[in-house]
Amino acid sequence: MKSITELLRDADPLANESRTYSEQRDYRRKIILAAASRTRDRAVAEPTSRITLLVTLGFVVVVVLFLAERMWSPLVSNVYAAPVRFEVKLAEEKPAAGLLEAKVSGTDRSVYLHPEAIVTNSNISRAYIIQVDHSSKYSVGVEFNPSGTEKIGAATARHIGKPVAVLLDGQVVMAPIIRAQIGESAVITGDFSRTEAEKIVKGITTTR
Amino acid sequence: MDELNVARVFPPAEIGNPVERLAILFDGHYDRLYRLARRLTASADDALDLVQETFLKAARYPKAIPSGFTKEEAWLVRVLINIRRDQWRKTSTRSRFEATASGTGLLEPANGDVEGALIARFSVWRALDGLSPRRRAIVVMRELEGIAIPAIASLLGISQITVRWHLSMGRRDLSTALKAYLEE
Repeated sequence: MKSITELLRDADPLANESRTYSEQRDYRRKIILAAASRTRDRAVAEPTSRITLLVTLGFVVVVVLFLAERMWSPLVSNVYAAPVRFEVKLAEEKPAAGLLEAKVSGTDRSVYLHPEAIVTNSNISRAYIIQVDHSSKYSVGVEFNPSGTEKIGAATARHIGKPVAVLLDGQVVMAPIIRAQIGESAVITGDFSRTEAEKIVKGITTTR
Repeated sequence: MDELNVARVFPPAEIGNPVERLAILFDGHYDRLYRLARRLTASADDALDLVQETFLKAARYPKAIPSGFTKEEAWLVRVLINIRRDQWRKTSTRSRFEATASGTGLLEPANGDVEGALIARFSVWRALDGLSPRRRAIVVMRELEGIAIPAIASLLGISQITVRWHLSMGRRDLSTALKAYLEE
């Protein structure tokens, strides 16, 4: 009886074939090295064509972006507006301990902010642009959710006759004097351009 | 200094010209690859083609070949087995169909010494053809080349347990196919 190993050894073609393959070996060597030379030639030529391709692609991208910016800027600004941090803080006309001085954008006026925000982006249920008297100036309207309405209502009710600051990305864009308790909606009057107003609307709802 | 030692003294990673590197790879590994290829294929021509395909792949992807003689060898062996596996997958279905259609199973052992030996050899290689190339390579490396299991695992980049499992399954399949000769 033979084992598997013995059967395999008996049938091993290397043990049974006397054929010499040195000639074939040299022939195959030439084929392989010729193929390697062709590959190398292509590899040497490739960087130039790759650079050309990249430059062309870069040029096309620049042209497309340029055209897109000119033709579809309102659309682009609407869709890809960056997030805008929205905060409403109680403020004072005079400095006091614990308050932070801040300039109102576009004016020389300073207000002094309470550290805590009453409402933020998470308290807004909807935002929209408002055209001011058919002019090229726009405001932004915001509607608060129930939690935001309750917070801003309670805070402004105790702060009547004093300013409240509206901040966009940390900048005070307006600080009106509270005449009455603020309810479920408010208007940010910043004399914005349409593009700016649209960016704010998108931005303050994106980060909710 | 023979060709093998040249390859060892000048690791291919240090040779900038890919053609030169391939020449050294060829000279250093051709014989070893041919031996394995011959034991994985039905004829010497098939083995020569298989080795050629392996080196052509090395020519196409020179940066994929690791540095160091042992790592190069392992890379080439794996490429060779993978190419053989692709060939085997394409032909195995057809072969099984032809074997069934013709109604021929394994040949029975013959009484005459020369004739019997030839038939036995044919039967062994037919049984080996039934193994997947990786399993067949493992059986060949262990049984014919005498390579230890840890070295096979390292060469093929698989665990020793996997090697043992393939070896066990390969021996079982061969035992089943060659039952008549084992009980001779």
